[in-house]
Amino acid sequence: MLIDAHVRPALFEPICQDRNRFHNRCDAMHYHRMNPSGMELLKKQYLLADITGVFLLPSDCSAETGDSEISNDEIARIVALDPDLYYGFAAVDPRNKNAASELTRAFTDLRLRGLYINTARLHIYPGDARLRAMLDICREYGKPVIFHAGFSFEKDALAMYSRPIDFEPVIAQYEDINFCLTHMGWPWVQETAALLLKYPNAYANTALMNFDGPYQIYRKVFLEDMGELWVEHNLSDKILFGSGSPRIRPVRSRRGLDSLGFSEETRERIYYRNARRFLGSKEY
Amino acid sequence: MKYLLKEETVCADREFELIRITDKVRDFVRESGIVNGICFCITEHTTTGITVNESLPCVEKDILETMDRIIPENYPYHHNHYLDSYGTIGGNAPGHLKSLLTGNHCVFPVIDGELKLGHADDIYFCEYDGIKTRRYMIYIIGE
Repeated sequence: MLIDAHVRPALFEPICQDRNRFHNRCDAMHYHRMNPSGMELLKKQYLLADITGVFLLPSDCSAETGDSEISNDEIARIVALDPDLYYGFAAVDPRNKNAASELTRAFTDLRLRGLYINTARLHIYPGDARLRAMLDICREYGKPVIFHAGFSFEKDALAMYSRPIDFEPVIAQYEDINFCLTHMGWPWVQETAALLLKYPNAYANTALMNFDGPYQIYRKVFLEDMGELWVEHNLSDKILFGSGSPRIRPVRSRRGLDSLGFSEETRERIYYRNARRFLGSKEY
Repeated sequence: MKYLLKEETVCADREFELIRITDKVRDFVRESGIVNGICFCITEHTTTGITVNESLPCVEKDILETMDRIIPENYPYHHNHYLDSYGTIGGNAPGHLKSLLTGNHCVFPVIDGELKLGHADDIYFCEYDGIKTRRYMIYIIGE
């Protein structure tokens, strides 16, 4: 069993019908020379990796671009195709005047499971008051938050706005909200590890495909950048499996993590138990 | 002289899989009306192959497992790096290398309107980088 806590559905066929929108999305998110994937093909790929749950992360920088790349309605449309498989997250651009009402609509009407925010693309710091207004809504509705953390390949994204340690005041202030930092906050992996160590409501995911292949990058990050026992002894209940698909196929990410030699208990936590707890489940 | 092309779609259920396509090729030869000629079967991808072998589960298993031994998944291949032109990691080096071993095509005679194969021969589409939707060509030249 595996829950993939980091999938960008940019290439999901049902939301790729408008060619201009598809091209603009791929340009902004930096996906190239790839075609849309049918839902049955995706299901086969999930089956191959033993994936039973998928977090769908949208993309909204619309105050600047005029339109979201992956909208909340598109996420809801995909979730409706298989509500047992997909966990849809909302995105809003906090710089928009209607951001609060859109986020409320995403939680109430579209029934999305949490908020995804990429401050690197939005060019706002984690402590920005406009962002805190969104977090207040998440608190009101009891929704978890996924922050892009660290470096991003996306167009115009600046990592100076998404250093893991800059999320600390937010994580500390909103102690009743679960936060997940993506990509282990790479390259500031140790900052992320420190936050995971201290804050019960801080999580991180493993979507890390930047250098090398999965066998090499996971070894570098989890056994060299971090002490080789940090995950096993301290952080096994704070890390969620995330592939970062479509930058890499989930089955390959999984094989890379499998190769690290973590105990079965740790793998179970990373592969699905932590994702359930992050979402608020009492049974994980 | 007639020249006939058909493109077939195939989708594996596993990452590495040998998919028997003999009947597809044989059917197109029969439909073509060509009595004497030559038939090419060609994959359109660089991480797949076309080959001929005996359709026994044990042989198929040996082929795939031997390829895995020769070309292991976890070797630090040069292709394993970020490709800016795709925005992805090049994670399919084994697929590219395995495709070299089987090649991208096979050729068969067409005699008396039938595909001519050896008695143990079956034609396979070889998936080395699944799961994806793939295409291969069947091209017949003859009279």
